[in-house]
Amino acid sequence: MSAAARLPDGQGSPVIQTKGLDLFYGNFQALKGVDLSITEKKITAIIGPSGCGKSTLLRVFNRMNDLVEGARVTGSVRLDGKEIYAPGTDLLLLRKKVGMVFQRPNPFPLSILENVVFGLKIHHMYRKKRGILYEMARKSLESVLLWDDLKDKLGRLATNLSLEQQQKLCIARLLVVKPEVLLMDEPCSALDPMSTSRIEELMQELKKNYTIVIVTHNMQQAARVSDEAGYMLLGELVEFGRTHAIFTAPRDKRTEDYVTGRLG
Amino acid sequence: MPAWKKIREFVAEAAVKASGLASIFIVALIFYFLLREGIGLFQAYRLPDFLAGKNWYPISDPPEFGILPLIFGTLLVTLGAAAISVPLGVAAAIYIAEVAPSRLKEFLKSGVELLAAIPSVVLGFIGMVTVVPWIKTAFGVPTGLTALAGSVILAFMAMPTIVSIAEDAIHSVPKNYKEGAYALGATKWQTIYRVVIPAASSGIVAAVMLGIGRVVGETMAVMMVTGNSASMWRGILFPVRTLTATVAAEMGETVQGSEHYFALFAIGVALFLMTFVINMTADMVLHRKRK
Ligand SMILES: Nc1ncnc2c1ncn2[C@@H]1O[C@H](COP(=O)(O)OP(=O)(O)OP(=O)(O)O)[C@@H](O)[C@H]1O
Ligand SMILES: [Mg+2]
Repeated sequence: MSAAARLPDGQGSPVIQTKGLDLFYGNFQALKGVDLSITEKKITAIIGPSGCGKSTLLRVFNRMNDLVEGARVTGSVRLDGKEIYAPGTDLLLLRKKVGMVFQRPNPFPLSILENVVFGLKIHHMYRKKRGILYEMARKSLESVLLWDDLKDKLGRLATNLSLEQQQKLCIARLLVVKPEVLLMDEPCSALDPMSTSRIEELMQELKKNYTIVIVTHNMQQAARVSDEAGYMLLGELVEFGRTHAIFTAPRDKRTEDYVTGRLG
Repeated sequence: MPAWKKIREFVAEAAVKASGLASIFIVALIFYFLLREGIGLFQAYRLPDFLAGKNWYPISDPPEFGILPLIFGTLLVTLGAAAISVPLGVAAAIYIAEVAPSRLKEFLKSGVELLAAIPSVVLGFIGMVTVVPWIKTAFGVPTGLTALAGSVILAFMAMPTIVSIAEDAIHSVPKNYKEGAYALGATKWQTIYRVVIPAASSGIVAAVMLGIGRVVGETMAVMMVTGNSASMWRGILFPVRTLTATVAAEMGETVQGSEHYFALFAIGVALFLMTFVINMTADMVLHRKRK
């Protein structure tokens, strides 16, 4: 691990912890000895230049890298104290607990309602009672502030919504299965500035109930929304700590160059 | 632009335009010809008697030209073929697109293409020596030359179309839909039937329609295995006769300009309209998807 990396000293218990995390795509090492700790009900931002391994790191937390042929992980990754790469881990349960929002909004080409209740159906989380799906969909659409806009259009095709609405719908689709952690991989990069700021507001709202990890290219965004932040370079987590500290008093020269360079 | 270049452009454009128009013109011409000959029947014979008549006795006196049993035969054989080829074909497409390891995938795809390359006479012949005797013994019927035999053979002919077009549709479902489902904790199978198939549904429907459209007009193989008895509905285990087989079998025996001759052309019109409607529907489904 890099000497500068340290665990944040803030309050709150750690939800995800990694130690000596390495990830290889075949022979290429994409993550090098990453040590970090994601704190409960905080927003943690991962920043760094393109190709440094931000998405790769995020995809470790819900084991989406398993889908990549030849990807191999070593080291320790714990969720609530339990090793998620241990044999016998229930992958489906893990992904239910750790939801993911993608760079391009990807609602399914189904109705809005079908999108929201998708998770309930695949995890058999509802009793066959009339109206129960609707009720649960209402709650989760309310928590992403979409209910008022969409309540009369639940039968419409989700892929025809605006990008902002699609991205919110993708978040609602996660909330319905009651996850602990939300992983967001550049969730606003396909959106305009107004939509971006509304999604950021939403994140502040969601933080009350969920732990959020966001990958972003946009340093202002990281500075605005996150409580803790990590700077990655070439697969290494160079520095990790309070967002404020990272941006105002970086301990590593490389972080400083990046942060000041970008902020001008 | 030098003059010769302009001319070259003009010639190329004109040639493309001409061949495009020619194909439309030829289709129109064929339809016109069919219609002209077919209409001859209705100078003496009533259209309702033709469409709804229960007997096809072209050489009795007076002759009867009711095509209802032939329509029944065609529908029975075609629907039977659909019942066999649609589930199998769609399942095969899903398997090839989503499940099979990549080496096997290539192998299976060439296998399907090979199936499409078998001439229909050959399929009919294979059907005669395998499917027909099998049906006779398996179901204990007096003859294996039945609607079912026709359905089985036609299913083989519809399958390559269904598999390759449906496989294409499934394969082109965007990867991020699948990622979204996996990230929610869906299993592979849940992802396939809750996301991939709905996303590819219009392509799959079009595949089915085109596959069926292809076999409705099929003649040779069907004629060889269905027994060719123009009787009304009796069931899938009895001989039937289709519209196509009727035309093919009787055209050689008719006198040009006779009522029988016109009646066969009228059958041709009916067939033309049937396949036209099926293909149009498939096209519309496909285009609705594109938008
Ligand atoms: N499936 C893969 N197979 C091989 N190498 C990969 C694969 N995915 C990513 N990589 C490599 O791993 C490194 C990290 O990629 P990753 O996508 O995590 O970067 P990133 O920081 O998210 O970049 P960006 O900001 O462009 O999204 C890159 O060098 C990339 O080329
Ligand atoms: Mg990325």
